[in-house]
Amino acid sequence: MSEIVTRSESVRTAARSDKGALRRRQLGAIIRLELRKSFFGGRGIGLYLLASLPLVIPLMMWIRLQFHEESPEDIAATTTAFAWLFQYFILHFLIFLGCVLVFGNVMRREVSDRTLHYYFLTPVRRELLVLAKYLTGLIATSTVFGLSTIITYLALYLIQPNGAAFLLRGPGLGHLGAYLLVALLGCLGYGAMFLAFGFFFRSPIIPALFLFGWEFLHSLLPPLLKQMTVIHYLLSLCPVPLSEGPLAILSDAPSPWVAIPGLLILAAALVAVSTLRVRRMEISYEED
Amino acid sequence: MRAAAKEPVHTDRQVVFENVSKFYGEVLGINRVSLSIPPGITGLVGPNGSGKTTLMNLMVGLLQPTRGTVRVLGIPTDHPEELFRHVGYSTQYEGYPPGFTGYQFVESYLRVHGLPRAESEALAWKAIERVGLTEAAGRKVAGYSKGMRQRIKLAQAIAHQPSVLILDEPLNGLDPMARAEVISLFRELADGGLHVIVSSHILHEVDLISDQVVLLNGGYVVAEGAIEGVRDEMEEEHPAQVLIRCQKPSLLASRVFENDHVVEARIHEDGKSLLVRTRDADRFYLMLNQVILDNDLGVETVMPTDADVNAVYQYLIGGNGEKS
Repeated sequence: MSEIVTRSESVRTAARSDKGALRRRQLGAIIRLELRKSFFGGRGIGLYLLASLPLVIPLMMWIRLQFHEESPEDIAATTTAFAWLFQYFILHFLIFLGCVLVFGNVMRREVSDRTLHYYFLTPVRRELLVLAKYLTGLIATSTVFGLSTIITYLALYLIQPNGAAFLLRGPGLGHLGAYLLVALLGCLGYGAMFLAFGFFFRSPIIPALFLFGWEFLHSLLPPLLKQMTVIHYLLSLCPVPLSEGPLAILSDAPSPWVAIPGLLILAAALVAVSTLRVRRMEISYEED
Repeated sequence: MRAAAKEPVHTDRQVVFENVSKFYGEVLGINRVSLSIPPGITGLVGPNGSGKTTLMNLMVGLLQPTRGTVRVLGIPTDHPEELFRHVGYSTQYEGYPPGFTGYQFVESYLRVHGLPRAESEALAWKAIERVGLTEAAGRKVAGYSKGMRQRIKLAQAIAHQPSVLILDEPLNGLDPMARAEVISLFRELADGGLHVIVSSHILHEVDLISDQVVLLNGGYVVAEGAIEGVRDEMEEEHPAQVLIRCQKPSLLASRVFENDHVVEARIHEDGKSLLVRTRDADRFYLMLNQVILDNDLGVETVMPTDADVNAVYQYLIGGNGEKS
C-alpha cells in the first residue's frame, strides 16, 4: 500500500508541475482517443463514403474517354465544371452533411454509447474536452474532404492533355490551394455550428435541415441576410465565381480580409458557447 | 427517523454534503442531505431508487445539486482538474468505447489524465493485475462476462491510485471467488487510508465490508455512522436482542431481570438458550460477564441477533431493503 501512496503522490506532483504542458498532453490524448474511436474504425465509413462521392465524376469522365472517341473538355470547361462540382456539391452538400454527421454527434454518440462519464471522470477541464473533440472533428473532416478535393481536382485535370501544364505552369495549383482553404473553413464554420447545436438540441437533424435550407437559398436572400450565412463568406473565397441563377439577388462579395477572420470569429464564438454549456452538463443516460 | 444525526464536519479529509438536495424536474433524487464521510469503507445502503446513485453522482459532479454544496477532501465537485487526481468512480453504467480491449480501455483514459505513455502503461497493468484480469486484458471488453466488466471498470477506477474510491454496486455479477477477492481489495485499500464508498441494495453484503453505513430511503438519509452506533441510537425504541446459549438459562434469566434496562428475557423452546432484550447493550454485556463469573453458567455463545444492518434497516423503514 505504501508503494501505491508514493506512486500516487508522484502522479500528483507531475500534474502540478506545469499546467500548460499537462493540458497539451491531455489535449493530444483526447484527440488520439477520439480519432481511434470514431474515425479509424467502422464508424468512419459514413464520412469516407461521403468524401469519396466526388471521385465518381473524374472516373466517369475517364471511362467515357476510354470508350468514346470524343475530344476531352478544354481546360476552361474543366475549370468551370470543377467550380460547379465544388461549390454546389462538395461544399453545399458533402461538407455540410459530413459536419452534421461528425460534429452533431460529438456528445450525442457518447451519450448513446454511455461513455461520456469516462471523460467527465478524468482530471480534464470540460472546456478542454469540448475543444479537443472539436479539433478532432476538424482534423478528420478537413483531412477527408481535403483529400477528396485534391484527388478529384487532380484527376479531372490530369485526364486532360493540357491538364499537367495548367497545374504546373498555370493557375491550377493556386486554385487548388484556394479550394482547400474553403474546404477547411467550411469544416471549421459548419463544424462549430453543429457542435453547438449538439448542446441545444436532442437531435441535430431538425436544425440541420433548417440550416441547409437557409444556406441553400442564400442567393435569394437580401444582402443583409446573406451576411448571416456561412456559404456567403465561403463562396467569396472560391477562385472561380459562378452565376447564382436568374432569381439571385446580387450583392457585393466580402473581401478575404473580412471572410476569413469572420469565419474564424464565428467558429470561436460557437465553440465558446459549447464550452459554457458543457460546464453545466449532467449525465443522465436513462433519459436518453 | 434519523437514528444518528450528526452535524457535518468541515475537514479536508472527508467527503462532505451540506444540506444537499437534488431534484429531476419535480422528481426527488435526494433531499436535505447533510453528512460527512470519513476514510474507511462506507456502505451506502438502500433499495433501488433510494438515492444511492444520485448521491454518488453528486460526489463526482456528474450531477449538480439543486441546493447545497458537496466537497470531496475539501475540493468542490466542479473542479475536475483537482478532483479527479484524488477520486476514482466505478459507475453502474454499462458502456465501453467500441472495439477496445480491457488494457486499451484502462490505458487510454490514463493518457487522458495527462500521464506519459510509460507511466500510463505501468499503472494500467498494475490495476489490471490487482483485479485479476491480466490474462483477459488483451481481449475486447465487448466479449467480457458481466463479472469481468465489473472488474475492468474497477481497474479503470483505481488505475490512477485515487484517495477516494466510489463504487456503485461493484459486486453485482461477480462470482463468489471474485467477490471475496474484490472485498479483500477494498479492505486493503481502506486500510491504506483511502475512502472506499460502496453502494449496494444487498444489506448483508454491505454489513460484511463496511466500517460505517449511510442508510437511504426515498431520497432521505435515515441513518449514518458505524452500524453499532446506529443500532445503539435505536435502543430506546427497539431494545437490542442478545441470544445466550448456556447450561442454566433459567438462572441467567432471573439474574438479568434484576436490571432495569432488561425489558424481556425469554427461554428458548430447546431449554438451552435465552433471548434477552435490553435498552442498554453496553451495560448488559458488562453485567453478563459478572453473572457468568459468579454463577458458572457454562456459556457456549453470546450473539446479538439484531445488530446487523439488515435489522437496523428493518427497524428504520420497515423493509429489508432488497426489493426495488
